[in-house]
Amino acid sequence: MGIPSGYTSAQVVQAVPTGINSALVLISSTTIGSAVSSVTVSNAFSATYDNYFITLNGGVASTNNSLLMTLGATATGYYFAGFDSAYASNLAALAGANQANWGNSFRGSTNSLNGMMWLYDPFNAKNTHFYSSGARSDTGAGYNQLGGYLANTTSYTAFTLTTNSGTVTGGTIRVYGYANS
Amino acid sequence: MATYKVQIDDVVRDATPAEVTQIEARQAEAEAQAEAAEARAVARQAVLDRLGLTEQEAQLLLGS
Repeated sequence: MGIPSGYTSAQVVQAVPTGINSALVLISSTTIGSAVSSVTVSNAFSATYDNYFITLNGGVASTNNSLLMTLGATATGYYFAGFDSAYASNLAALAGANQANWGNSFRGSTNSLNGMMWLYDPFNAKNTHFYSSGARSDTGAGYNQLGGYLANTTSYTAFTLTTNSGTVTGGTIRVYGYANS
Repeated sequence: MATYKVQIDDVVRDATPAEVTQIEARQAEAEAQAEAAEARAVARQAVLDRLGLTEQEAQLLLGS
C-alpha cells in the first residue's frame, strides 16, 4: 500500500491523539449460560448514546427458535413488520401490532445463534425504533428482517431476549453505542 | 408448572413464578404470530391455486 497523502510514512499508528474517539463503542458483552429461556442485559442504555447496535453470535439453541426482544418491563405496545424466508422457499410476511414483544428479532438453531439489531433512542423519552435481522444455520430454516417501534416514551436501561420455544446455550450478546458526536 | 432458567447479566437461576408466567405469555404470543403468518401464507397459496399460478410465476408477476 502506498503512503497516503499528508503522511510521511506507512508506519502502524501506536497512539491516537486526544479528541479522536471511536464512533462505535462496546458497552457490554454477555456470555449466555446453559439452557436458559431468557437473558436480561442490564445497564445497556444510558444518556451517553442515542443509538445502539446489538449483536448475537456463537452458542446454540435446543431447537430452531427465535428470541423475542423486550425493553425493561414493558409488555405491550410493540409494533413490527417485515419478512421471513426459508432458504428453499419464498417470502412470508411477519407483522404484529401492539404486541408483547418484538418477535423473531434474533434466531437460534442447533448449530448457532445469530442476529443483529439497531435500536434508536431506547434511553431517551421518545419512541424507540428498531431494525433487526437474523439467520439460522439450518438448511430447512432461513432469514428474516424486521423494523418497527415501541409505542411509548419510556426511558429504558435494560432489555431481555426470551426464546419463543426451547432454550439457548452459550453465545455472546454484545451491545455497542454509537457516539453522538 | 414448567421450569425455566433465566439469566440476569452473568447470573443464571431458576425463574420465579412471575417470570414463568411472563415467559409463557411471550411464547404464547409468539406462537399466535407464527400461526397468523402461516394463515397468510395459506391464504396466498389458495389465491395462487385459484389463478392456476405456481409460486415462482407469482414471484415473477408480483416480485415477492
